[in-house]
Amino acid sequence: MKSKIITAIVALVIVALMGWGYYSSAEHRAHGHAGELNPKETIFEHLGDAYGWEVPFNHSVRIPLPIIVWGQDGLHCFMSNRITGGETYDGFKLSTSEEHHGKVVQVMADGSEVRPWDFSITKNVAGILIAALLVIWMVMTLKRWYARNGMKAPRGGTGFLELVVDFVYGDTIRPILGKHAPKYAPYLLTAFFFILTMNLLGLIVIFPGGANLTGNIAVTLVLAVLTFLITTFSGTREYWKEILWPEVPMALKCPVPMMQLIEVLGMFTKPLALMVRLFANMMSGHMVVLVLVLLIFIFTNLFGVGVGIGTSIFSVAFTLFMLLLDVLVSFIQAYVFTILSTIFISMALVEPHHSEAE
Amino acid sequence: MELFTPEFGLVFWMFVAFLCLYFILAKWAWPFIIKSMEERADKIDKGVAYYQEAEARLSNAKAEADKLLAEARNEQADILREAAKMRNDLIEKARGDASIEAKKVTEAAQVSIEQARKESEKQLRLEVGELALQIAEKVIRRNIANDDAQKALVDQYLREVETKN
Repeated sequence: MKSKIITAIVALVIVALMGWGYYSSAEHRAHGHAGELNPKETIFEHLGDAYGWEVPFNHSVRIPLPIIVWGQDGLHCFMSNRITGGETYDGFKLSTSEEHHGKVVQVMADGSEVRPWDFSITKNVAGILIAALLVIWMVMTLKRWYARNGMKAPRGGTGFLELVVDFVYGDTIRPILGKHAPKYAPYLLTAFFFILTMNLLGLIVIFPGGANLTGNIAVTLVLAVLTFLITTFSGTREYWKEILWPEVPMALKCPVPMMQLIEVLGMFTKPLALMVRLFANMMSGHMVVLVLVLLIFIFTNLFGVGVGIGTSIFSVAFTLFMLLLDVLVSFIQAYVFTILSTIFISMALVEPHHSEAE
Repeated sequence: MELFTPEFGLVFWMFVAFLCLYFILAKWAWPFIIKSMEERADKIDKGVAYYQEAEARLSNAKAEADKLLAEARNEQADILREAAKMRNDLIEKARGDASIEAKKVTEAAQVSIEQARKESEKQLRLEVGELALQIAEKVIRRNIANDDAQKALVDQYLREVETKN
């Protein structure tokens, strides 16, 4: 009972910190640029990537991260704090132009800006790596438990992890894929835990978290492409036959390959939907929280401090609600991505049904 | 629109990070975890089946034990009853034997008593005859005319004989 109360208090403190962090970062952003409030810029800056990692309460100091670029004259590596203040280092600077806004560009002799191949460890890349390490740590903890304790049921965090693995593998992947399950389970489980960790990390505002990872289309693009590749390369003869010569009236497929067009389109829309679903869900969660917080400053600017304080009460309440909802959404979206990938793979593994024998 | 344009560097690193993560976990973690979990599930299922079987066996064994116990009880009662009967029979037989023996002894005794009696009767007759002869001799010898005196004499001798016996 006592430990439950402590857990509840810790959870409340974390949630409160989340909200507080959003406030402080949003406030700094809102007033960072010459004291002028620009909600759109603030929101998009927060949702996007950055060189260096912000720390709470101080907008000028950032945790430096390595910048790795392949410019016109080869490879360049340096820490991000050399250019995030607006300086030019080694011929590189953060662009202020419309086209490459906020990105690293190489300044040419004639003053034009050229975007190099950018392999920088940005905030999001660092977040991805941290998430990957966290997943390795979590999964290895579970593995070590089995290696050491064999048949004993794990307790605490490891027990929860096992519950999740059992839910994803035992209740989802295995029933859908059947005998193929062991072959595809590593990919699906890895994807699930990676997405879940990235989702939850994105909700924590201070250092190891705060990067809007799964709310970034590049991240979901890679995940969707991997599912697409796996689906396509595991396709059976029957799968390709259903795409290229489906069982429909001849008029629909022979002179004009209408069905084939739809089926081929379907091959691409499925992963596309995966990509957009995860991206939009996670990004919108962040966006709503940001808008709720920014409402305080907008109302303060428009109607004065009194109204701002009044708004803040509602904003805090809704922000906390949204953050808790996002925790739920994090689990749901990770699960949805996994179950849909599983279903797409199982559709590619289709065996010929025996209706043709009639 | 920047939000919807995937950044090349991020795609690259995400791809690398995911593949590394996949190969590490697929090689060293997932198969082992899945195997362990399935083994445990299997073991639990088997344990439940084993338990049910054991329970059935136990109840069977209990029924059997009860049956055996009841049989043993019946047998015990039978044995006791038989023993009691045997004892009674023995006693009965012994008693019969004893009474037969006793009868034999009694009969033998009676026979011998009878013999003894006959013997003694014979003896007595001889003695009485002798005595009578003696008495008669004495009576004749005295030759006394008095009948009464003779009678008293006879009585006296007879009484003597009686007291001897």
